[in-house]
Amino acid sequence: MKKKQAVAEDPAEMIPSESREEEEEENEAPVKAKRSKTEEVVYHPVKLSRSDLYRPPTAEELNQLKEAESLFHCSLLKMQMEELLKEVALSERRKQQIDSFIQTVTKRLRTVPESPEVEVSDLSWLSNAVKVPFLLVPKTTKGKFHMTPPASVDLIGSYPLGTCTKPRVMVDLAVTIPADVLHPKDVVNQRYPRKRALYLAGLAQYLASSSDIGSMLYSCLHGNRLRPVLLLTPPGKDSSSFTVRVHACPPPGFFKPSRFHPQRNNIRTEWYTGLQTTQSESSEPPTPLYNSSVLGDLLPRAHLQFLSAVSSQCSAFADGVALLKVWLRQRELHQGTGCFNGFLASMLIAYLLTSHRISNSMTAYQLLRNTLNFLASTDLTVNGISLAKDPDSTAPSLAEFHNAFQVVFVDPSGHLNMCADMTACTYKQLQHEASVSMEFWDNPTVDGFHSLLMTPKPMIRTSDHIFQLCELVKLQSSCKKLNLLSELMDHSGNYVHTALPYILSLLQRGLGQRIHLLTHSLSPDPEWSVESEAPKHKAQPPLSFGVLLMPELAASALDRGPPADSPKAAEFRQLWGSRSELRRFQDGAITEAVLWDGESMCQKRLVPRQIITHLLQLHADIPESSVRYVGAMVDDVIKTGSELPSTGEEESLLVVQSYDDLSRKLWRLEGLPLSITAVQGAHPALRYTQVFPPLPLKLDYSFFDREKTSRSLVPKEGKPCPAYITPITVICHMEGSGKWPHDRLAIRHIRTAFHIRLGELLKKHHNYMCRPCPTHLDVWKDGLVFRIQVAYHREPQVLRESVNAEGLLVVRDNEEAQALEMATIHKPLLTSTLHGLQQQHPCFGAVCRLAKRWLGAQLFSDDITEDTADLLVASLFLQPAPFTPPGSPQVGFLRFLHLLSSFDWRNNPLVVNLNNQLAATDYTEIKNDFTATRESLPVLFIATPKDKKQSIWTKRAPSVQILQRVVMVAAESLKLLENQLMDSNKIQDVRVVMRPPLDAYDVLIHLNPKQVPLLVQAVDPPTVTFSRGVMAGNVTQSGGALPVIDYNPVSLYMAELREAFGDLALFFCDPHGGTVIAVLWKPKAFIPMPFKTSQVSARSVVVTGEEANTVPNVEAILEDFRIMGKGLIKSLEARTEKWSL
Amino acid sequence: MAPSKKKHASGQPCIIPGGFTVLSLQFSSDSVAQHKLYVKEHKVRAEKSSHRPLDRTLFVLNIPPYCSEGVVKELFSQFGCVQSVELRDHPGSFQDSGPKLSRFFKPVAKQGFRVGYVVFENSSSLRAAKSHPHDVSLVVCTEQRPVKTGVQKWIQQYTESFINPDKLQHIVDSFMEGYDKRKEEEAERQRKEAEQQQEDEEGWVKVTRGSKGTKGRPHSEAANERTLQKEMRKKKRKELLNFYTWQHRNTQKEHIADLRKKFEEDKQRIALLRAQRKFKPY
Repeated sequence: MKKKQAVAEDPAEMIPSESREEEEEENEAPVKAKRSKTEEVVYHPVKLSRSDLYRPPTAEELNQLKEAESLFHCSLLKMQMEELLKEVALSERRKQQIDSFIQTVTKRLRTVPESPEVEVSDLSWLSNAVKVPFLLVPKTTKGKFHMTPPASVDLIGSYPLGTCTKPRVMVDLAVTIPADVLHPKDVVNQRYPRKRALYLAGLAQYLASSSDIGSMLYSCLHGNRLRPVLLLTPPGKDSSSFTVRVHACPPPGFFKPSRFHPQRNNIRTEWYTGLQTTQSESSEPPTPLYNSSVLGDLLPRAHLQFLSAVSSQCSAFADGVALLKVWLRQRELHQGTGCFNGFLASMLIAYLLTSHRISNSMTAYQLLRNTLNFLASTDLTVNGISLAKDPDSTAPSLAEFHNAFQVVFVDPSGHLNMCADMTACTYKQLQHEASVSMEFWDNPTVDGFHSLLMTPKPMIRTSDHIFQLCELVKLQSSCKKLNLLSELMDHSGNYVHTALPYILSLLQRGLGQRIHLLTHSLSPDPEWSVESEAPKHKAQPPLSFGVLLMPELAASALDRGPPADSPKAAEFRQLWGSRSELRRFQDGAITEAVLWDGESMCQKRLVPRQIITHLLQLHADIPESSVRYVGAMVDDVIKTGSELPSTGEEESLLVVQSYDDLSRKLWRLEGLPLSITAVQGAHPALRYTQVFPPLPLKLDYSFFDREKTSRSLVPKEGKPCPAYITPITVICHMEGSGKWPHDRLAIRHIRTAFHIRLGELLKKHHNYMCRPCPTHLDVWKDGLVFRIQVAYHREPQVLRESVNAEGLLVVRDNEEAQALEMATIHKPLLTSTLHGLQQQHPCFGAVCRLAKRWLGAQLFSDDITEDTADLLVASLFLQPAPFTPPGSPQVGFLRFLHLLSSFDWRNNPLVVNLNNQLAATDYTEIKNDFTATRESLPVLFIATPKDKKQSIWTKRAPSVQILQRVVMVAAESLKLLENQLMDSNKIQDVRVVMRPPLDAYDVLIHLNPKQVPLLVQAVDPPTVTFSRGVMAGNVTQSGGALPVIDYNPVSLYMAELREAFGDLALFFCDPHGGTVIAVLWKPKAFIPMPFKTSQVSARSVVVTGEEANTVPNVEAILEDFRIMGKGLIKSLEARTEKWSL
Repeated sequence: MAPSKKKHASGQPCIIPGGFTVLSLQFSSDSVAQHKLYVKEHKVRAEKSSHRPLDRTLFVLNIPPYCSEGVVKELFSQFGCVQSVELRDHPGSFQDSGPKLSRFFKPVAKQGFRVGYVVFENSSSLRAAKSHPHDVSLVVCTEQRPVKTGVQKWIQQYTESFINPDKLQHIVDSFMEGYDKRKEEEAERQRKEAEQQQEDEEGWVKVTRGSKGTKGRPHSEAANERTLQKEMRKKKRKELLNFYTWQHRNTQKEHIADLRKKFEEDKQRIALLRAQRKFKPY
């Protein structure tokens, strides 16, 4: 207890001996950390002893502290990066393994037996067990080939440079083909690439017999079929720890670099097509890609030398490259055809170092930052860069490179464009990622480290819409249609990569202003066994394209083109084909235009889909059936309306308009004793986030009973439950005045008087049916019900005040006051703030609706309340790092699931910066308060500008156990959904994630669908429907009898169950048409408790000797479930296999 | 229940340690399961309320939610005339609920299991109840006395929630009248007390104890706090901060200590993150 006192006096003045211990523990933190992994890890505020804090600093320590403070906005970042580097670096043990394996492989390779010389096309010397890793189209080419031991075997690439990182450790081994196998003229007509493939096949045949090698696969470098490689893994259990990639190369300088000028031709049309042509060599089309792929084989040693020279100058080079590689990998840019791989990353940093844009003394952190900054600000598709210091005269100029390639980054020799196969779209994506990352980095409120380096950005969660080309073989006909023979020749027949740039530019043109960015998946390097033929070009996974939408323009149904008489009109017509038509607009202009289908918002959101399928069909001969558009598949679950499908935007708008009208009318009312100071909406429907917004209803009066005194309808016994009418809460603040009493009961009566008076006035002036109650006033207007609550701003204060026994006026917070503040202050404020957010981000509401639909379906809606869910979704829009704000409901929903499942709720507060009111200092303050009092705070902590310390929205729920389950289910749902969305083969049923697993519950109460008023909202549409007293037709503005308001037997039953059995069991139900109530016993309730008068509810006594203990009277409880839900319950399913009755 | 069943032959009351008699209660005659009510005479030394006379009040535990006060009254009428029934969420002493409220203004009662205080007219009924055999159940819902539950009950509740606005207005008016009257009385009392403290003609002041609520100055916790703070501020303003060398040195020291603290905090955070394997990027 002594310790506690000390803390109270002065937090720094701790008992020295104790804090010493802590210090020591910290020093051996890594060891301890490992030990305590299984324990619950909790972050406690640091306690340093006074003597530690105030001991005179040494110069070294001072420097360390200074550096940590000045270099990074938080020294934490520096440490985080160091830790990250430790995670990806290769361990010494691993390096030894690699070295020894390389030695054995090298030894083996040097002893390859010679074989007699044969024609290149003669494959008889190869045994059947090994195939040539090359697509032999056309079948033959000239030349002689024979196997001989390699001239040399060298390590190249990232491993000797020290930039090799985990996972997927690749060690590159270059095997030099001896000069006598090759001929200087082999450059032409794929002779060299074929010899290279043959040589690899020869090596594979020889190595196959060796026991030193685990498995052998063919692959090709960056998906380029001209550059096959052989993948070797060590035998035994290390087989997955690293891979050796064997490249075959010509001897350095064997071919003259000038032969590979991007405008030279090295594949003759005559040879390729097999047709006689009379073209001379000079008129043959250039083959820049073929040239650069052959040239690429000549240079790896030179590149390695260059990079080693640079890296020896700069100590942080390897670390910087490693960080950049992690960054690229998280963005899925690190591998595949046209990727920005680790080699390019090192080259880029080398470029920045040699051009003195960054200095040799910088740290890894600064290298990364400056590289990203350079990427963000430089467009290599227009202004290429070159590493060549003084290129020889034969080297092509940058302009020549730009003519031949989309992205230009020239290597130190000046002849090779290292980004030859990168598409402009990929570079734009890279640039976009870099600039977005820089933004997050500069923003002190974002955890830069986490969002830049730790969060994966898979395409499905990054892009707003996604579409896939499933049957890639269709691209063959696109090449024909687009007339791409010479390009096809240059790509050596790879029609997928030939057509891709053209399709991209076509879509870019067609989508124009609607999109921010168009990205595509990089097809992964194929890998196949040495015993099988090289896979066909179509045998790769479907090409996926991602689209980042511009929120304002993406959904517009009209593409307005140039005036009919302008010269651009022809171009426009050419692009759109028959869809383009002349239209006259209201401003008198007659222009070409394309009008897309789409009336409701959810249809309009799919306009990009119409554009894409139309353009692909028209220009690239790709039928609609092979385009799989994954843009709005999830939206189905919140779709309503039979004639016009809608996801609720239109209905919400109607509600908001009706509310605005009511609010205006309230303001204008005359004859109230006090004036109205504010009318505020406090219902999710008024911020566009109600899952199923209330619909205006027309009633069938004959369906109901009547209540005579107030001309109201009453549900009839024996009939199905009438349609549920949601009361839309509106808070009406009254002017403060000395006339308000200072007493809680009196205030309530005065409020009632106001309800009555407001009702009278609304009836008199506008003929609305009203029903005043002590707590609210229901107004029947436009087929909707508004529930007006009068509020007096001092009431919470009055509720908190009380006079104690000594006559002292004390102010004590209590639940009643909090609930009132929540209803009259916080909820209206949240509603108006989120309403504003919806105006900025049109799909905010839809994301909320999807998220809440999921929570409801998974039976979590009582624990993660509507307001909490809305705030969680709002955080996705306000702090999207590392993404951009969601542009479609689907991507927003996926990120919501990701947030739920991956956020570290235990150790971090989720800060939702509504209206951007929080500054960086507030963030630190929130975080510090949070860590200091973590134990007493809600498990799911959400801080907002108005609520920095308490997390009022999540105070009641969820509990730890429920949150754990939410996290688990969210992770599972996310995995399932992403697989479904990205896998073109699976049958699509996105509703799978909306069907809760019910096997975890103890009792299931099945409800009679007749008495479930919201049955139509159920996840799986019901098979039977009931008439619920609603008629089709136009809704009358006002008048008529008052409908049945807020009568839902299911929620009434749930409330009764919770009140009666809340301390014995948990009750779950889907509020949107769920027909099952799931009951889970609380484990604690079943432990026998000693008999106490305050704890006998629903329990029976068991007497053993003189002791009386109580246990729940389960039999009677189950009977009570039936009695209390009479008429509503269909059956009761007690899963007694889990517990005994 | 198994052991106690064996111990007591049928027709006998079942009494458990603690002095409670066990009564069975079932919803209707064809119910299979029964709830157990635990009854005992109400015995509290401190309470001398006329609402719960000691010798005639039966204390009942575990009354199911579908038993309203009326139902309980009828259930216990078989032991003798029942004078009144009081149902509560928790056992506790009788509380005066202030001015009388109409049912529309009463806080909504919780519909859980409740405890009851049943007051009989005769104390003999009390004994009858306590000696009731435990295997003869009380039946809540019979043909003469149907108890509505489920959908029927909710429809009834919904129908009963209506009130004529004029009637409601009347309730409000009469309450406010009463409130105003109470206010006036209070004001009158205060005025009188204040008058008493005035000087009389001869300049004498009558000093009385008075009640504490009548002080001229607002007497509240917040006000006390404010005065305290004001004084603290005054004290602080008088202090000089950069006067002595040691003060300057101290601020520097504080700065370094701050840095160190932050550094240590970060270090600890890292250790924690590392323990959670939070640095594995993929």
